[in-house]
Amino acid sequence: MTAAHPATGALAVRVPDRRHYALLGSVGLAVLGLVIWQIAAGLVFVIPAPLATVRTLLANLMTGGYLVDAQVTFQNSLVAFLLGALIGGAAGLVLGLSRWARILFEPLLIALNGLPKIVLYPVLLPIFHLSGAKVVMGLLFALFPILINVAIGVRELPPVYRTLARSVNASRWQTLVHIILPAIRRPLLTGVRLSVSLAVVGVVLSEFFATRRGLGRVVLQAYSGGDYRNMMATILLLVSVSFVLSLLLWRLERRVR
Amino acid sequence: MTVGQREEADPVALPAGSTPGPPRRRRVWGDGRLSALATAVLLVALGGCWEIGSAAKLWSPEVLPAPSALLPALQALAGDPRFWADAGRTGGEVLGSIGFGGVAGLLVGVSFWKAPLVGRVFEPYLVSFYAVPLVLFYPVMIVLVGLGTPSVIILASVMAAIPMALNTWVGLAAVPPVYLRLARSISCTRWQQLFRVALPSAAPYVLAGLRLAVVYALIGCIAMEFTTAQAGLGYRIRYLYDSFETAPMYAYILVVLVVSIILTALLAVLERVVMAGRNRS
Repeated sequence: MTAAHPATGALAVRVPDRRHYALLGSVGLAVLGLVIWQIAAGLVFVIPAPLATVRTLLANLMTGGYLVDAQVTFQNSLVAFLLGALIGGAAGLVLGLSRWARILFEPLLIALNGLPKIVLYPVLLPIFHLSGAKVVMGLLFALFPILINVAIGVRELPPVYRTLARSVNASRWQTLVHIILPAIRRPLLTGVRLSVSLAVVGVVLSEFFATRRGLGRVVLQAYSGGDYRNMMATILLLVSVSFVLSLLLWRLERRVR
Repeated sequence: MTVGQREEADPVALPAGSTPGPPRRRRVWGDGRLSALATAVLLVALGGCWEIGSAAKLWSPEVLPAPSALLPALQALAGDPRFWADAGRTGGEVLGSIGFGGVAGLLVGVSFWKAPLVGRVFEPYLVSFYAVPLVLFYPVMIVLVGLGTPSVIILASVMAAIPMALNTWVGLAAVPPVYLRLARSISCTRWQQLFRVALPSAAPYVLAGLRLAVVYALIGCIAMEFTTAQAGLGYRIRYLYDSFETAPMYAYILVVLVVSIILTALLAVLERVVMAGRNRS
């Protein structure tokens, strides 16, 4: 797999070169996207131009009320992600290690993963109230990628790893920290990457529905008020935050081989 | 090695054929029966707790009605033309998105395989938009295309196309080169190389991609309807919530849950059948 580490000079030069092309291409693609956006804004008057959108976003970020909304959304997403990662990681570990847990719960978990979970929001609202329900919704969104990736990662560990752990008399905790976690770091990171973005999506979708504060509410209010510049600016903020986070985690994931 | 690649492209799907090979296959079937039984028992137990809790007034029926109270509501739905109109609209949207998204994803996956540099250029975007912040573009889509079926179908198709494209690409890249060399040596046309050799070899990945595409299309359509729409299952749930009609709302939620579970199960069965056919031959 690691063909990019040859001692021969020719390959070592060519491989990073092609990577640069890909990177350049990706950046070029982003620029192309901006140009198309600009042209579209010229053609369809309801779309604000990129520059105007960024200006609105900057102006928004100077106002206190908007900052409170942003803080509420990102804080809730963070809590949802952390809880989801903890619960999902623990459940995934159990599911990966125990054949009986798999037999009992796997079909239900796969079915739950395929559900449009947002329809459960009206059910969560009376139980967790307006402030807690969106965290729980974000948690539900964030839970499954970690759970499933950890479960698969643990299940497909080579049996010799566990034999080794037993032969050196490792305690359960030591086996977990020194053997299982390093061995499943890639699927774990994949799960983390998906969960981070999904936690944001879950919280924002809940805010579309009903909440007191948050960026999702700002988007929907701006939409119904016809304030498309504000709407675009907020969507831009949300999308770029989750895009950048996801991209960074993806690059980290590629480095960890 | 395929495991690592599969996770990369297919992070949310439990691959159905991850334990191939005849000796283990049989035991998996035994486990499958046990699993089905356990799931049925769990569901019945859950329903029982729900019914008992409602009967013991642990929560008010306005918040969570008992299952026995939902049965008449479900019966009422079956005779309600409005329900069928909603279901028809959502079904059409989901089918349309799966169709467009699936075909587009397959085409994109094949072209990325043919032109790897183009694939590398698009990869960061595909991978990052995988996790559906795309729903956030729905208000923009409404402004552009108008409130209605087309805006839902466009976004849901994109959501469905992404996992399909990534999985097809990874699956094709994992085709052993010797297959393609053989195909060339017996002078297959390019068309034959793709459809008779490469795609069948990549079938497990493509099918896993299709399963994700279906799930994403369904989730996307319902979530968008839930946000704003004039009809559809997602919209109706929200409407009934806003007008405090708890029992019909739960009936609708139940319908959505059951439909999505049936869809997932059907696709898992399809995947198993295809994998079993491959392992025999």
